[in-house]
This record gives sequence, structure tokens and C-alpha cells, in this order.
Amino acid sequence: MLKVEAQDRETLMEPLFRAGSGFYALALLLLAVIGWGGFVYLRQITDGLGVTGMQRPAYWGVYMVNFVFFIGISHAGTLISAILRVTQAEWRRPITRIAEAITVVALIVGTLQILFDIGRPDRFLFVFVYGRLQSPLLWDAVSVTTYFLGSLTYFYLPLIPDMALLRDNLPTSAPPWRLQLYRLLALGWRGNRTQWLRLERVIAAMAVIIIPIAVSVHTIISWILATTVQPGWHSTVFGPYFVVGAIFSGIGALFIAMTIMRSVFHLEAYITEKQYRYLSYLLTTMTVIWFYFTYTEHLILAAGQQEAEFPVLASKLWGRYAPGFWFMVGLMVIAFWVLVLPGLSPERWRRVRVFQPRFALASAVSAAIAVTLAFLPQAQPVTAGTGMVSGRTVLLMVAIVFAIGTGISVLPWLKRHIVASTVIASVCVVVGMWLERWTIIVPTMTHPRLIAWAGYKPTSTEWALTVASFALFAFLFLILFKLFPPVSVWEIAEGRVVDEAQAQLEVPLPESSTPVRRGWGIARR
Amino acid sequence: MRFPLDNPIFQFFFWLVDTPGLGGLFVGLIVVVFVSVAGSALRWIVRGGQADESETYAYPTPALHEH
Repeated sequence: MLKVEAQDRETLMEPLFRAGSGFYALALLLLAVIGWGGFVYLRQITDGLGVTGMQRPAYWGVYMVNFVFFIGISHAGTLISAILRVTQAEWRRPITRIAEAITVVALIVGTLQILFDIGRPDRFLFVFVYGRLQSPLLWDAVSVTTYFLGSLTYFYLPLIPDMALLRDNLPTSAPPWRLQLYRLLALGWRGNRTQWLRLERVIAAMAVIIIPIAVSVHTIISWILATTVQPGWHSTVFGPYFVVGAIFSGIGALFIAMTIMRSVFHLEAYITEKQYRYLSYLLTTMTVIWFYFTYTEHLILAAGQQEAEFPVLASKLWGRYAPGFWFMVGLMVIAFWVLVLPGLSPERWRRVRVFQPRFALASAVSAAIAVTLAFLPQAQPVTAGTGMVSGRTVLLMVAIVFAIGTGISVLPWLKRHIVASTVIASVCVVVGMWLERWTIIVPTMTHPRLIAWAGYKPTSTEWALTVASFALFAFLFLILFKLFPPVSVWEIAEGRVVDEAQAQLEVPLPESSTPVRRGWGIARR
Repeated sequence: MRFPLDNPIFQFFFWLVDTPGLGGLFVGLIVVVFVSVAGSALRWIVRGGQADESETYAYPTPALHEH
């Protein structure tokens, strides 16, 4: 019988067998939303895609945006977990399971979006029955299938020893089906030396294999767009741009998920500020790379001045889709600000009056009022001249000034609350990345090369299925972590021993390179 | 100048990428290979439990590899 430490049993295992009213209320709420989504989907099947906003030429809409978004956040997991495992980053231990779970769940929900998108789901299998190797849609089916199988295996392998720990340390109050489940999933795990060596070897091999698979998945998803000659999509930069975006949104999703798990399971002793700090460095790096790729992508469109492509760019920068585009940019700027600037603010700023939360709140309210006034319906002035600056522009400038004031006032608070600041940044990143998928897909779809342009406005059916998809994501996550520990118990125990051993080591100072001078000023070395 | 598709090799490649159903077979092949490899790896791990070792551990450490 395998033993588990009391602390791990109490924090990581026992909550799996307790379910309060909050759990059932949340599960019922999520099920209700999913049920509503199911009803809406049935109505879509019976009435056809006419109930959506998709019509010629905008054949792809919110469903496709959701597909790219969910496949993107699936990179949270396996890629981040695999990279950290391959590089032997010790701080990864408490967050790998949550990251791997995000991958599996996001892939399930993401693939469902394809079913939503096709008017005849009974024809889904035609991709395989009539699929030709030259079709990017088939490459997508290949990569997503491989990634899902790989991620599922990669999620399951480190789970085996934990299943054995649960099997051997099951509380007496646990229902018998739980014992059957853990016994089945533990595969008769004993934990002898040979088994450990083999398990670790297979996990290491999977970690190496899954990284190129994960990179290929989002590259191939970008090829669905880039291999067409649709304006704005026919770009060689799309592959890396999509991979960067996927890792970026994946880290954001991981921050949000691990904070929720930390709060619900009281994992403060496991997921510490160290994980937030190190992962925030990664998120900051990805923010900069994302800005670089976004700039590159739009620079090429702007510099090319192609007759078919420029309207797509114009619709994003100052046309119909400009609010979404600039809101996305604004969110990413906020994320960068929240991640980077608190670290640069001196400690003495805390004592200055302006750097107080109440000043931040006042500035934020002022900015919100200015934005509201800017977008209130205004009477069109009857004038022959063209004003250089409109009232709306002035109000928006005022709002920006107040927003910057908010950002500055809140810096010391953000510095003291790293968990809150990374979550704020992550929410901005995740919402911003959904908008990025929107601004990539929809403007191009509505500005085709050959036929007349059109508009696209999602209907309540599409929004209902989107909300239901997010509810399904949350529900699967909820069930998954009611069955399995949110933190890998054996990896934490191993990390604890390694940390203790490292703490006992006394590392000597480095040997000095400064020349030792003797009498007469002659250098000895 | 010879058109590339006059060459039997290119004709074969064109047939390979353009024949409906071959893509599905490719996906099926990948699934079968992946499931087989993953299944074999799991079986290999499970059979490790049959080794003649009386000591069992709830977690490994790097020292276990040199044990």
C-alpha cells in the first residue's frame, strides 16, 4: 500500500470526496446553460444555418472564431507543461496537471465548434470518407486528432501513480464506484523501481513528442486560412503568428484556471507566488512577441496597398470592425502595463498620495464617464467647414488621459498583489485573443475578392452556443477535478524531497578574478 | 519541355494527394499507430510492476534512477 503525506491527503485528496451545496448549484447552473445550448443547437439543425448570422459570403463566423480560440488555449497546457518538464523547471510541479487538463477540455470544446459550424452534421464524417491529402481541412483533422490523443495520453500518464495513491488511501466515506474507477485507472500500479523508471521515461518521451505536435496544430489551423487567396489571409506569417497567439492565450487561460483552483481547493501552500512570478515572465515575453507579429501582419497589408486587401485593413483600423480591433489592442496594452510597470515602480511610491487605490478608482470612473459621453448619440452639426477635432475625439483623449492616470495610481497596489495583477492581465489577454480571432476571420469573410461585400452580425443562436461552449468547458473542468487531484501528488512529494536536499547544499562563493597585488605593485595573477 | 505530370512518379504523387478517401485512411492510420504505441507503452509500464522488487515507493527521486 502506497502512503501519502497527511498534508497532501488533507488538501489534495479529501476535497475530492466532499461536495457542498455550492458545487451542486454551480454544476446545475452550468448544466442548465449547456442544456439551453443543446436546445438551440437542435433548433439550428432543424431550421438550418439560416438562424445564424452566416450567409453569403460570410460562411465562417463566431463558431470558427471559437474553434480557433479554444484550440489556441489548448496550448496552455501541453505545450507549457511539456516545455517546463523537458527543461526540468522545478517550479512547474503544482501547475502541470491544471495545464494538461485545460488542453484536453479545450480540444473537446473546440472540436465541437466545427459541428456547430456545419449545417449538416451528418456529413461530418465526409471529411474522412472523401478526404483528400491535399486538403488543409484534412490536415487539420489529422493534427487535431493527433494532438488530442497525445494530450490525453500526456494527461493520463502522470495520473497513474496518483490513481494508485487514491486507490490505497480512499476515505471510508467514498462511494464504491470511486474505488472501482481508481483501481481501473491505476492499472495495478505498485510503484516499484522498474515501474517508476519506465513511467518517467515514457513521460519524458511524450513531453518531447507533444511539443512539435502542438506547434503543428496551430500552424495547420492557420493554413486553413493562409492557403486560400482570401484578402488578408494569404500570409506566410500566419503560422508563427497563430502559434504565438495560441501560447499567449494558453498562458492566460492557465493563470485564470490555476487561480480558481487555488482559491477553491485552498492550494496557497502549493501554488505560490513563485509560480505566478515565473509564469508572468513568460506571459510578458509572449505579449511583446504578439505585438511584434500583429504589427508585422498589418504592416504588410498596409504597405502592399493591394486593391482587395486594403479594404480588410481599413475595416479593422477605422471601419466597421475598428471597435473590436482597438479594444483588443487596448486590452493587450493593459496586460503589458499590468505585467511590466509594477515591477519598475519604486517602493517609495507607496507613500505618495496619488498612488492610492481611491485615486485609481476616481480616475477610472472619470475615464468611463468620458467614454460614455463620447458614444452617446450626438446631433450632427450643420456646417460647411470640416472641423479638425470633433467633440468625440476630445472626450476620447480625455478618457485616455484618465485611463493612464488610473494605470499609474494603481501601480504600487499591483506590485503588492501579484496574483491579482497576473489574473487581471490574463483576463485581458484571453478576451483580447478572442477578439483577435474575430478580427482575423470576420473582416476577411465580409470583404471577399470576387463577390459583393456583406456584413456579419452574430445572432442569439450563435451567442447562446458560444456561452454554452464556455459553460461546457467549465463543467468538464469541474467534473475532472472532482475526480482527480488538481495537483500531481507524487510530483509534489518528489519536489519536496528535492527542495529539501537542495536546501542542505552549501554552494561556495565563486573564485575571485581580481588580481591580488603584492609589494612593488606587481600583479600576482 | 516535358510537363511534370507526364512523369509516372508525379502522376503517382498526384493520385496520392488527389484521391478521395486516402486522407481518411491516413487519419485512420495515424490513430491506429498512435493508439498502438500508447497502448504498448502503458503495457510496458504495467509489466514493470511484475519485476522482482519488494520495495515500493509513493514517489520517485532522482536517486532512484541510480539505486
